[in-house]
Amino acid sequence: MPHVTYVAADGTRTTLDAAEGASVMETAVRNDVGGIIGECGGAMMCATCHCYVDDAWTARTGPRKDGEMDLLDCAASPVTDASRLSCQIRMTQDLDGLVVHLPEAQV
Amino acid sequence: MTAPLAPIDETITIDQLHLDPYPIYRRLRAEAPVLRVKAVGRTFLTKAADAKYVKDTPALFSSDDPRTPMKPAFQAHTLMRKDGPEHLAERMAMAPALMPKTIETVWAPLYRQFASDYMDRLPTDGIVDLHRDLAGPIAARILAHILGIPEASDEDMQEWSEALIHGAGNFGWRPEPFERSDRANAEMNALLDRAIERVRAEPDASALSVMVNAADPIPLSQIVANIKIAIGGGINEPRDALSTIVYGLLTNPDQLEEVRARGAWGTAFEEGIRWVAPIQASSRRALEDVEIRGCLIPRGDTVMTIQASGNRDEELYEDGETFHVFRPRNNHLSFGSGPHHCAGSHVARRTVGKILLEMLFTRFPAMSLPDPSAVQWRGFGFRGPINLPVRLT
Ligand code: HEM
Repeated sequence: MPHVTYVAADGTRTTLDAAEGASVMETAVRNDVGGIIGECGGAMMCATCHCYVDDAWTARTGPRKDGEMDLLDCAASPVTDASRLSCQIRMTQDLDGLVVHLPEAQV
Repeated sequence: MTAPLAPIDETITIDQLHLDPYPIYRRLRAEAPVLRVKAVGRTFLTKAADAKYVKDTPALFSSDDPRTPMKPAFQAHTLMRKDGPEHLAERMAMAPALMPKTIETVWAPLYRQFASDYMDRLPTDGIVDLHRDLAGPIAARILAHILGIPEASDEDMQEWSEALIHGAGNFGWRPEPFERSDRANAEMNALLDRAIERVRAEPDASALSVMVNAADPIPLSQIVANIKIAIGGGINEPRDALSTIVYGLLTNPDQLEEVRARGAWGTAFEEGIRWVAPIQASSRRALEDVEIRGCLIPRGDTVMTIQASGNRDEELYEDGETFHVFRPRNNHLSFGSGPHHCAGSHVARRTVGKILLEMLFTRFPAMSLPDPSAVQWRGFGFRGPINLPVRLT
């Protein structure tokens, strides 16, 4: 199983095994990682699963999905080039070791 | 082999649900989490996981239910009852006006001023009905501005909202509720005609202006329908949320003290809307035969996701029946989930959570609820206190 590391705004790191095909948001929510809410369940409606993909990984996570930028505009914390909605990143073997940083606030 | 239909209940009444649904939901979660309730004509889903599954699976569960009285009440087919790309286009047309950045930069300063003015107006001696005299009017004022119809009075906004809600809930198809919503529609249409002219001439950050002045605008009829759905769905909930949370904090002084000490007003907001969800239930229509917990939901059947019940589900919450701000986890379903997740969640969180609660308890540090038993709670679809007799000083 690919693993993914969440770095909270205060620096706390949590590494989890993700189910192949599960999103970075789902993986966090299922395991009670604070800092990601994912309130709309991945429908791109709430902007509460904002994350910053670590520089080393942006090439592999690829471009934002259609409509993702519109929702990132609704995020509570500043949006940068590294910003993604974590519900739109699906875990594959290719992303084994992925690191995402979490914003100060999601709501 | 096909699964059997869900068991049917003929004992639960709408009156019971209206007065206090929570003991019923607790029993159903344990005994019959999928249940056809005859009095409501819907299949109740009372477990959190089922409610979330249905809302997160629009391919199987449609929001479009042609048999509801919503269309005559709103004189329109609104985004709340649409699916897919059509829903998305209408929803995203309004989104820029409701996003945190806009709220923070454009509206928050104005809303602080309104909140302060409305609190100044409250009589400081004797008993004040905070629900009627503050929660309702301030919710109306906040909404009128962000929607782009500041010329509407608090009374108008509240009447229109009630009229739309009563019309949309008029499952008995009686004439009076539709007469009332027709009157409201005529008044809203007249006001919107003028407001549309105004935002065309002087664009601002309001929802109306953003939709009217978009590069590729949605049809005017849908712009008007969007504003109406926001009027119908944007006053009661923040109003009821505020009253519910104030009740929760005043009846739990130890929690209030801790919230104050930590400045945890946002956490109190989340717990209040978990404890008593302002929108308690939503309907979805099955597009295919689906099985839930061994029960067949036949195609065409309408299920009700009871988020009020899911929010107290023993599988997720210890002692979910009580108000407990600092509970270890709280992923309530009060803003819904899936494509129809509340479009106003940022507005509600930032106005009720970040502005109103803190200002109210700071301004009236000695506020008390002399007789908690005088507070009456009502509602099956929407729920909250209908009065909140407090002493401010
Ligand atoms: C505490 C306050 C609020 C609560 C608890 C709440 C709750 C909800 C819920 C549960 C839904 C989903 C209904 C469904 O799934 O069928 C919803 C939808 C909606 N809400 Fe809210 N709401 C609140 C405040 C607001 C405010 C302030 C506004 C307006 C600015 C608003 C506008 C809307 C709209 C437009 C929809 C329809 C979204 C769609 O169908 O795509 N809400 N709300």
